[in-house]
Amino acid sequence: MTFASPDASLRAALAELARAPDVRYGEVHFVDETTERFVFRDGRAEEVTRGVHTGASVRVLGSKTWGFACTADLTLAGLVGAAREALAVARASSRVARTTVVFPPAEAAVGTYETPVVVDPFTVPLADKLATLEAPVRALLATGKPIQSAEASMEWTRLHKRMLSTEGSDTSQSFTYGSCGMQVTAVDDAGHAQSRSYPVWVGGNAFQAGYERILALDLMGHTARIADEAKALLRAPPCPARVTDVILESSQVALQVHESCGHPTELDRVLGSEISLAGGSFLQPHLLGTFRYGSPLVHLVADSVTPSGLGTFGWDDEGTPAGKHALVREGVFVDYLSSRETAAALGRASTGTMRAEGYNRTPLIRMTNVSLEPGTGTLDDLIADTKDGVYFECDRSWSIDDLRLDFQFSCEIAWEIKGGKRTRLLRDPLYTGVTPRFWGSCNAIAGPSEWKLWGVNSCGKGDPMQLMQVAHGASPARFRGVTVGATGGVG
Amino acid sequence: MTGDELLSLARDAMAAAGEAEVEVTMKSTKRGFARFAMGDLGQHMELSEPQVLVRVAGGARRTRVAAASTNHLDTVSIVGAIHSAAKASVEVPETEGFGGFTRGDEPEGERPTRYADSTARMDAEARADRVAPVLDGIAKAGLVGAGALETRLTSLAVATTRGRAVSHDGTTAQLKVWALETPGAGGAAGFGGQTHRDVTALDVGAETERAIRLCRLGKGPTSLAEGRYDVVMEPAAVAELVEWLASIAFGAPAVEQGTSVMRGRIGECVTGDAITMTEDPLDDGPAGLAAPFDREGVWRRKVPLIERGVARGILYDRAAAARAGATSTGSALLPDGVSEVGVGASAITMDGGAAGSVDDLIAGVTRGLYVCRLHYVNGFLDPRHTVMTGLTRDGCFLIENGKLSRPVGNMRFTDSFLDGLARVDGMTRERRAVPTAWSDAGAHVVPAIRMRGFRFTGASQSAVSA
Repeated sequence: MTFASPDASLRAALAELARAPDVRYGEVHFVDETTERFVFRDGRAEEVTRGVHTGASVRVLGSKTWGFACTADLTLAGLVGAAREALAVARASSRVARTTVVFPPAEAAVGTYETPVVVDPFTVPLADKLATLEAPVRALLATGKPIQSAEASMEWTRLHKRMLSTEGSDTSQSFTYGSCGMQVTAVDDAGHAQSRSYPVWVGGNAFQAGYERILALDLMGHTARIADEAKALLRAPPCPARVTDVILESSQVALQVHESCGHPTELDRVLGSEISLAGGSFLQPHLLGTFRYGSPLVHLVADSVTPSGLGTFGWDDEGTPAGKHALVREGVFVDYLSSRETAAALGRASTGTMRAEGYNRTPLIRMTNVSLEPGTGTLDDLIADTKDGVYFECDRSWSIDDLRLDFQFSCEIAWEIKGGKRTRLLRDPLYTGVTPRFWGSCNAIAGPSEWKLWGVNSCGKGDPMQLMQVAHGASPARFRGVTVGATGGVG
Repeated sequence: MTGDELLSLARDAMAAAGEAEVEVTMKSTKRGFARFAMGDLGQHMELSEPQVLVRVAGGARRTRVAAASTNHLDTVSIVGAIHSAAKASVEVPETEGFGGFTRGDEPEGERPTRYADSTARMDAEARADRVAPVLDGIAKAGLVGAGALETRLTSLAVATTRGRAVSHDGTTAQLKVWALETPGAGGAAGFGGQTHRDVTALDVGAETERAIRLCRLGKGPTSLAEGRYDVVMEPAAVAELVEWLASIAFGAPAVEQGTSVMRGRIGECVTGDAITMTEDPLDDGPAGLAAPFDREGVWRRKVPLIERGVARGILYDRAAAARAGATSTGSALLPDGVSEVGVGASAITMDGGAAGSVDDLIAGVTRGLYVCRLHYVNGFLDPRHTVMTGLTRDGCFLIENGKLSRPVGNMRFTDSFLDGLARVDGMTRERRAVPTAWSDAGAHVVPAIRMRGFRFTGASQSAVSA
């Protein structure tokens, strides 16, 4: 896919940087983003929005530190003005900076990347997309009381990115991102509410692919089940408070990976540059290569090459090529998500994870596709092999401390496991743990046939806040001796 | 571009587009952001963020509503967005009860002061100069500095083909400063923060000193068992819980969905009679930051939400109000880049009490906790009962016999916020403005509170014990 970029303006901005004697490195980014967002709720079209946003940014490393500026004015004057503004910021900051940023040189990145798309979502008629959402919402509402509310949503983004650097990098990348899902809420006469989602909550599952993924999602095929489950949850007992074995369905393992492996391995957090939003990390450099993060079954990798992953690309925003890096190997913590600057601080090479939300944000270390590698067997095998425990599905709430150690997650639904069988339904289930103890208790991971890639298109980080597309592959997994309870009952 | 310039552009574009039923919302933000960490100024940015959202009501009855957005503030781009929305609108199902976009004869209210030239004009050099002494002071204390100084100028305009034409210019200055025992590995942390429309009114020195003092006090924490504790919360902690409460309870969508505690309970007691919360976006005090009208150009108004413990009001945009047979409260959120629609609070004020200081609140606790801030609060556990979880951050101290006795490690709470507020028996007279965390909408103004028997469900682990 080719796209037009304001070549002369971008090169003029780059030349402006190259001319400045105090510039050690500079990047110019062009971003062209087309979006669609559709929400159908309770029988009405709640949101039908299409957007086109284009702009450019300049990131420059001055005598001591960085400067950043952006503009929506893509004329030559606009881009040169942004370059001058970024230089002014770098100079103002370098005047008061106490240390000098070490930024290792790298080979120029040159090339193109494009999301493989079978059915271009931007060619699918709007009426078809709305009908895809309207039908399941009406079906959910038609199941009757105590169903109170139903919603389905779909989002598409086509993102073109061009990056030029003073090192000679020139990359052009085109991405197609999508997401789709639905949720139903049942409310009983006493005012208790229970919701069920498919395939997951918060806008559904997200992916880097075309409309073929929507066709495979089959929302209609899941309406009766989630409506029935929402109703049944109103009558179900709360998850009893106890310590027991827990099996997490794969999307919940993915969230567990996101919060307790993805974020704490971000090297900018580790070193301290993310304090003003979300905190630091317990995975400090002295633990690298020796710290037992999980059981020997636990292999966690960060890759930016898995097909359809939201974290898949050709190059990151610093020109580091996509690749695959182990973060935890046989349970031992071995590497970080890093940038050129942060990796250099530890004498290592960047793992290529710098991405910006858009033209008006500076690149940060972001998760790519951070995944738990599969084990063996199936979910049914895991359940059959469990005498006593709880099986959790579909996240409802999430919270973890500022070092990414102490977490609490609640899910929409759970089932008790007795004698190797899934038995009664449990409502309001939650579980708590401490990251290395929890992963250390992982004693079974289902195999490749159960492994799914889950996309999160709203991972928040940075200040000002940036939302990013990231992904996590996971199979269902079992953890021994976990504290569980109900949202009203633990403690 | 100023608000008036945006408005002129919006009118020109509507005239050029020739569509019958159009709403144009324009927002231009110029943001200077000096983010510092690891004791240094490392992420300093000049951000230009123009946004245009247009909505068109198409079809024979003009009840098919579609939207389009662009970030280009020129007539051609806006006309293009209007035509895009118009084309889409004919395929959108009719919205029952849609009564058209805001009319020119709908009331406008007071225009609170929102602009300070000092903030609008602050450049990178000046921001760096304000940050330098913060970093110096913290380094001299043997600690590590982190935080951000932000200066923001926001211009807004809303115009409709029904004659609505409103504009606004406002500024926000915000300082956040941490003094840390380690850069990113945990340990003691102290926080100071202030927000004001005038950057020269920020007491940078005092907030830096506060962060240093709290960090020093927090060194060498010990763990504490889970259980119910009387707790004194600083305004920063209270505001985070209030913002979550607003998102799960006060907006019309949550009421319609059936997950809001307010559903079917207007006029009923939902918490203690010491608690009064009001959406007050037109507050003219120094903490007032919110724009005077919403995304639809509806003038915002003061909305009692909880009055002496009794549920009183819900926040509406025009569509939700029409469905409920109510009137819009001017609560359609401005476009924030995440979603182009939404209903919510931008400026909740919580009434204070009689306590002269936080120390006075602490004096009334035999054994409890003093909590400076909270981290990663989540209110989705059981929204109908306002159950939330989260952790303490940047200072948690044991109170014994009316005085701070020692620092404790961070604690996790899991409890119903409204139930907890029913057990509040002390609040400070003084209230502080805490900027909205998930948007640039405004600030919530809240006191420090003393709450009896707040449930802590665990102690966070330190890296040492991991």
